[in-house]
Amino acid sequence: MLQAIRSVARSSLSRSLPSLSSCSSRFASGDPSSRKEAPIIDNETLLAVHEGSTSANTIAVPAKVDISPITGVPEEHVKTRRVRIYQPPKNAMQSGTHNIHHWEMEFDTRQRWENPLMGWTSTGDPLSNMKIEFSSPEEAIEHCEKNGWIWYLDVPKTQKNEKPKNYGANFHWNRRTRVSTK
Amino acid sequence: MLRQPLSRALALSSPARVAPLAARRYADAVPAQPEKVEVFIDDQPVHVLPGTTVLQAAAQVGVEIPRFCYHERLAVAGNCRMCLVEVEKSPKPVAACAMPVMKGMRVKTNSDLTRKAREGVMEFLLVNHPLDCPICDQGGECDLQDQSMAFGSDRSRFTDIHFSGKRAVEDKDVGPLIKTIMTRCIHCTRCIRFASEVAGVDDFGTTGRGTEMQVGTYVEKMFLSELSGNIIDLCPVGALTSKPYSFAARPWETRRIDSVDVLDPLGSNIVVATRTNEVLRILPRTNEEINEEWLSDKSRFACDGLKRQRLVTPMLKDSRGNLAPVEWEDAVVAAARALRDCPPDKLLAVAGGLADAEALVALKDLLNRLGSEHVCTEHYFPTQGAGTDLRSSYLLNTKIANVEDADFVLLIGTNTRFEAPLLNARIRKAFIHKETDVALVGPKVDLTYEYTHVGDSASIVKDFASGTSSHEVMKRLQQAKRPVVILGADQLKSEEGPALLAYTQELAHKLQENLQDKEWKVLNVLQRTASQVAALDIGYQPGVGQALAAGPKVVYLLGADSGVVTRESLPEDVTIIYQGHHGDVGASIADIVLPGAAYTEKRATYVNAEGRAQQTLVAVSPPGKAREDWKIIRALSEVLGAGLPYDTLDEVRDRLSQVSPALVAYGDVQPNNYFAQARALAQSLQKPVSGKLDVQLKQLEDFFMTDAISRASPTMAKCVQAVLKQKNSPY
Amino acid sequence: MAGTGRETVRAAIRQVRPIMSTDFWEARRRALGLYKAFYRYIPYIVKYFDIPKTENDCRWKIREYFYKNACVTDIRVIDLLVLKGYMELKEITHSWSQKGHIMAYWQPTVERKPCDFICKFLTGVD
Repeated sequence: MLQAIRSVARSSLSRSLPSLSSCSSRFASGDPSSRKEAPIIDNETLLAVHEGSTSANTIAVPAKVDISPITGVPEEHVKTRRVRIYQPPKNAMQSGTHNIHHWEMEFDTRQRWENPLMGWTSTGDPLSNMKIEFSSPEEAIEHCEKNGWIWYLDVPKTQKNEKPKNYGANFHWNRRTRVSTK
Repeated sequence: MLRQPLSRALALSSPARVAPLAARRYADAVPAQPEKVEVFIDDQPVHVLPGTTVLQAAAQVGVEIPRFCYHERLAVAGNCRMCLVEVEKSPKPVAACAMPVMKGMRVKTNSDLTRKAREGVMEFLLVNHPLDCPICDQGGECDLQDQSMAFGSDRSRFTDIHFSGKRAVEDKDVGPLIKTIMTRCIHCTRCIRFASEVAGVDDFGTTGRGTEMQVGTYVEKMFLSELSGNIIDLCPVGALTSKPYSFAARPWETRRIDSVDVLDPLGSNIVVATRTNEVLRILPRTNEEINEEWLSDKSRFACDGLKRQRLVTPMLKDSRGNLAPVEWEDAVVAAARALRDCPPDKLLAVAGGLADAEALVALKDLLNRLGSEHVCTEHYFPTQGAGTDLRSSYLLNTKIANVEDADFVLLIGTNTRFEAPLLNARIRKAFIHKETDVALVGPKVDLTYEYTHVGDSASIVKDFASGTSSHEVMKRLQQAKRPVVILGADQLKSEEGPALLAYTQELAHKLQENLQDKEWKVLNVLQRTASQVAALDIGYQPGVGQALAAGPKVVYLLGADSGVVTRESLPEDVTIIYQGHHGDVGASIADIVLPGAAYTEKRATYVNAEGRAQQTLVAVSPPGKAREDWKIIRALSEVLGAGLPYDTLDEVRDRLSQVSPALVAYGDVQPNNYFAQARALAQSLQKPVSGKLDVQLKQLEDFFMTDAISRASPTMAKCVQAVLKQKNSPY
Repeated sequence: MAGTGRETVRAAIRQVRPIMSTDFWEARRRALGLYKAFYRYIPYIVKYFDIPKTENDCRWKIREYFYKNACVTDIRVIDLLVLKGYMELKEITHSWSQKGHIMAYWQPTVERKPCDFICKFLTGVD
């Protein structure tokens, strides 16, 4: 693979170098250790090379991906924390619903206290502000499974039958929906 | 306008995500749906039932039309004019909230005319709106702010500011809970409609017209409703705000944690807003099956009781008889010693009204391991007949959401207005929209809707059950297709309680037999506290009377604060161990005090009156040295040597699922059965009854302070005083 | 609905693009290569960083860190762990890390958290 890079690099470099450059001879020489700067390799060629060599090669790994050893999260914050996957509830004080149609995941709350210096909130919990948004609960679940967290899904009961509203019902002569005050 | 792409709107109703409505549907033959009409919202076709308004049709597509006065749970008013949209072939823009759709209607929600209309409406609203944003509590969660940014124009043309200026209106005093700054009012009339329709207290209205129009109670009158806090949520501007929460915080600096309320038996879903480890306010969360989007006043405003009278250290009685703070080791060792030295049949545990299922199961397991079977709840339930073995005998079997589809409701010995305000709101909803009639057997109380007062003697129930009554209510019950009978659990305390329950079961059974709809359940028993159903599910004995009479030597109180257990009713040498979170009645008689966590401080399971298990989440951490309740019991068991087999919350919940899987099926209600068997077992108890049915909570002032947290709350105290003062007022 | 815990998926595999190694043995060779590289640098660690540990202590510590990830079966994760190990080795060999970083492997200042129930309860740990 290193050979391929070298060959690609040489060709693309020689194309991209201005003809006036005086150090072209140094770059063009085959020995990589004589180069003072790293060779400029553009991503597309590299990926193309990479694709070409390994497209047929795939490996079999367990379907349950567990990347908790490499995420860097300390073990106690993987084993002892519980994740809640939910849709954020609509703010009761407002009528808008634009910001509630996604799914979020958050961790169980640990102790927070008031910092005596400024009155800000201090906590010893590194995951206290960790709120990740997803567009579907399946993505959230997959993310939690990959990281090794215990999760649970909180499905809100917000579906209601929309009955057609009728302005005339306010003035019905017979029904109790007749409006008594306006 | 807040538009969703169609794919996203369709994804909203995917079955994987939402709880199925099958739980609510009963097997009644659904009446044939009328032919749906096709409407085009922004060139997207949608099929809607005829009679749907343009706003509802747009909401189905995912297009949210801005509005101030429209609310989906209130009547249509159409007075804000913010929902004006352009409809093709119509000379004027059309108020989307009130206009029913017609076949082939083409609606444009983002055209120039629509935008101009919105800008115009916003301009007019802002002409007389004071520049209060920096001092207004609604800032950050204000509909007017958001909609003026999204739909309003960028500049004002209000030149009259230099001459006559903006209008100003006096503030109205409607009680210690609601702060009114009526200058900010935009006259959307949502509060008026809520008070008139949902709360049933028809006190709000408009006076004057034009610039002089004022919304209020006209005379200085307190808003005497147990649902009064909801108008704070409804008001789109900062005219009606929460008095206890005024100037406390801005919404972006609070953390919102979803939880469940335990101050009444229904388990309304709430959002606890916290900042720096203190609970600032509690708002309702939408749950269509329990509380819709309303919340009772006690649940909303009693949160400042969570900061007062808290038990923060374990305490032991010292040599002089005073409780002195000690460390956890000392308290646990002392409690373990007392438990170990007690003969098993003299050991009693009493669970209070705010105890969670995890602590209940841990306590029962501990006592069973020590050889005692005396675990009781404070509230009584008759154990004769089926007792608490059949779940359907002590639950609200017609679920709370289904009550709004009932066509006749019979209340026996219960004032649902103060015992379960949101159930009462549902009954009122049925009363208004479905023409449901209500009858009450019990003291004549104000239920916010008209009902037939049958009487208050218990023999009326006997007559109904045996069918010998000649009252018209009997006829109505028998003819009703979906009758509901609600019996208050308080009535079952007396010696006639078992008979009363037996008669109610008989009546409900008779009614249910003749129903066409086989899925409809008639019998409901309304418990008084949030922990009663979970305790009965786990196997607690209801009622302490018998156990107290036996003279226990050690009494373990798990938050038992209702005053049923007193030092006088116990022998002299008794040791009382109290585990709870407030220094109320129970802690004052205790010898050993173990501080536990309140419902906002622990992750706990509570089962509501219908049998639905829900969990509260940790919003703040327990103060001082307080710990979670089940952990205290587990630590005690370890010191005693009778170690309980669970160390983590998951393991406790596994134990709960062993006891009953329904206890951990969060959010679901299991359908209950065995009504016939329960009635058969209770038939022998049908003795003549002669007593009078009386309820504990008759007046609004009784409603506010019913449990440890609300008794410690200064806001609730102010409410009680204000209600008493209002009684002396001539209005 | 409310699903909990780690769903056990038995014997389900999927085909993915490898990171470096194409099979388990290659990954094992890489891991062993890393181990040997660390092992060979131990005398220099003890000498250059002047740590109060013996060579044997270092050897056991390396063993411990390698055994911590012994149960990983996903080849890509093994590759990434090996890469991270090489990164740390590079930092040590170039002396970009100092004595404190090396001593941190022994975590001398971390207090042992209580792990049995009653100690956790009394200290108030979750």
